[in-house]
Amino acid sequence: MAAVYERDKRGKKMSEVFESLFWILIFPGFLFTAVFGLAASWIVRKVSALVQWRVGPPLYQPYVDVMKLLGKEILIPENAQISIFVGAPIVGLAGVLLLSTMLWRITIEPTRPFVGDIIVAIYLMVLPSLALILGSSASASPHAAVGTSREMKLVMSYELPLVLAFVVVIIKTAALTGQGQQLSLAAISRHTPVLSISGMLAFLVTLLCVQAKLGFVPFDIAESETEVAGGVMMEYSGALLALWKIIQAMMLVALPLFLVMVFLGGFGTAGWPLVGGISKYVLVLVLLILIKNTNPRVRIDQAMKFFWVYCGITLVVAVILATAGNYYGIGWL
Amino acid sequence: MSWKIWSLKKSPWVFHVNAGACNNCDIEIVDLLTPKFDVERFGVKLVGSPRHADALLVTGVGTRQAAKRVQEAYRQTPKPCVVFAIGACACGTGIFNTGYHVVGPIDKIIKEVDPNAIIAYVPGCPPKPEAMISGIVKALSAL
Amino acid sequence: MNQQELDNRLSQIKNKPFGSELRAELLTAIERKSDKRIFLLCEAENAYAVNKFLFEDIGARFCTVTGIDSDKCFELLYHYSYDPTGCVITVKTFIRNRQAPAIESITPLLPAAEWIEREIHDILGIDFRNHPNLKRLILADDWPVGVYPLRKDVKK
Repeated sequence: MAAVYERDKRGKKMSEVFESLFWILIFPGFLFTAVFGLAASWIVRKVSALVQWRVGPPLYQPYVDVMKLLGKEILIPENAQISIFVGAPIVGLAGVLLLSTMLWRITIEPTRPFVGDIIVAIYLMVLPSLALILGSSASASPHAAVGTSREMKLVMSYELPLVLAFVVVIIKTAALTGQGQQLSLAAISRHTPVLSISGMLAFLVTLLCVQAKLGFVPFDIAESETEVAGGVMMEYSGALLALWKIIQAMMLVALPLFLVMVFLGGFGTAGWPLVGGISKYVLVLVLLILIKNTNPRVRIDQAMKFFWVYCGITLVVAVILATAGNYYGIGWL
Repeated sequence: MSWKIWSLKKSPWVFHVNAGACNNCDIEIVDLLTPKFDVERFGVKLVGSPRHADALLVTGVGTRQAAKRVQEAYRQTPKPCVVFAIGACACGTGIFNTGYHVVGPIDKIIKEVDPNAIIAYVPGCPPKPEAMISGIVKALSAL
Repeated sequence: MNQQELDNRLSQIKNKPFGSELRAELLTAIERKSDKRIFLLCEAENAYAVNKFLFEDIGARFCTVTGIDSDKCFELLYHYSYDPTGCVITVKTFIRNRQAPAIESITPLLPAAEWIEREIHDILGIDFRNHPNLKRLILADDWPVGVYPLRKDVKK
């Protein structure tokens, strides 16, 4: 009897491992998010082209880009730290992979969340930027060094407003979620904090922080092509560059999804909620594209001042409004 | 044809190298990459580093000072790659043939590094952007 | 001052000694090719003084320098623009010594002339005395020293 029970437990563990591997690698993890992300990057390029009154690239373009990069040789500079140079994109990929798997799992199966997963999500979101900084500083090139310092300053600038914005959301939804569920993403994603003044302010600030995290204009300072010859990714070529492109594509899925879940009321899984979720995601994506196409690139000192001073003050106001709304029970503050 | 060459044809990323040009061809290349001619529909994208590039757009007669740098940029481009010699000077030194500083047209400079280099020629002084698009498309479909 | 006064002032220096050294004349000739085009011909020793006069007393704006290898001598043309009337004044200097051409550099007076004098030094081999930074400018790094490409006696 005991022996059968032992074998049963071991059997269940093995199938759980395979199930987790399936989630992480195929659906909704690596393969699904990468394909979806490359399609989203095609949407970005196509909408940018339409805004500029031209025909854009065909649908298969991002996939062909990645395929072509996988077919080119990898050149590693002589003085580069090979272990960090090669390891950095892998670390970044791991971060964004876990993040997107976690977010999709919470969306698809909200009965298996854990409390505090919003903090894990914030922590995982930093990992690709850190990997970028590590990889480019291991490149042993002056252009990459300039890109590294700019990326570090940019990350320092927008992390604080990002966390403050999530604090606003947690305050807003604290009264509405159940006891002990304040930090649970599944519970937060059932409410729409954006329909209040403080929530709207936090949403706008987070939108700009996501713009900076994705490396879109006006905050693509680290990878400014014409200024520092490619900046952070200057020395990467071939399959490693393909990894960075895939990481960028997966971030393009994970970050707007995170925004939708935190601010706009979540992503449904069937029927009308699914359509609603997709249209919310497309709305966030279109906002990012429009901001990208109508703004020039800013300098790093302008970006730091913008995030620390303007976004900071906005968020302090939002926090005060949210706390006041909670205390007095006014929903729209 | 292998999948590497096929994907190279569908997504050529270009890097611009000036090997001692008078800047006329460079201006036309920059014109080419504006939204009016829309080379993005061919998958062409301007990249900032030769390590990301598949095609080098080389302008200018090869001057003595620039020859080594062009060879270095060619070495930094991961193979397989194509070199486009843009303009009359790059194709065959043009009017600067007897200049004291001219080392040779671009194909002579590149072939010193790699005798099997794939080089395409787009003549003109400067070639119109339409001529450059035609040259790029013809060269890629002949690969 | 208008063109008439400019002409008068330029004629004045033709016979006037400059500084403490007495010279017979600084300028060998003044040529007016057209209304707004004046050439002041002088020898290499007086070039600095004429340049100083044009820049400080007349107030003309320095444009550039041209170097020519004529058969019997080197010529340096310093171009100035007199902006109130649109007149271009050129100081045409003759360097008679073909074996070791040298002239006083005007860079201490006009820092803008530094690079053009380096270029003329690279290409024609004219030595500029008192130049603060007479290094190679436009020839390739591995170009042999002492070969001046645009001299008439250098074949490619």
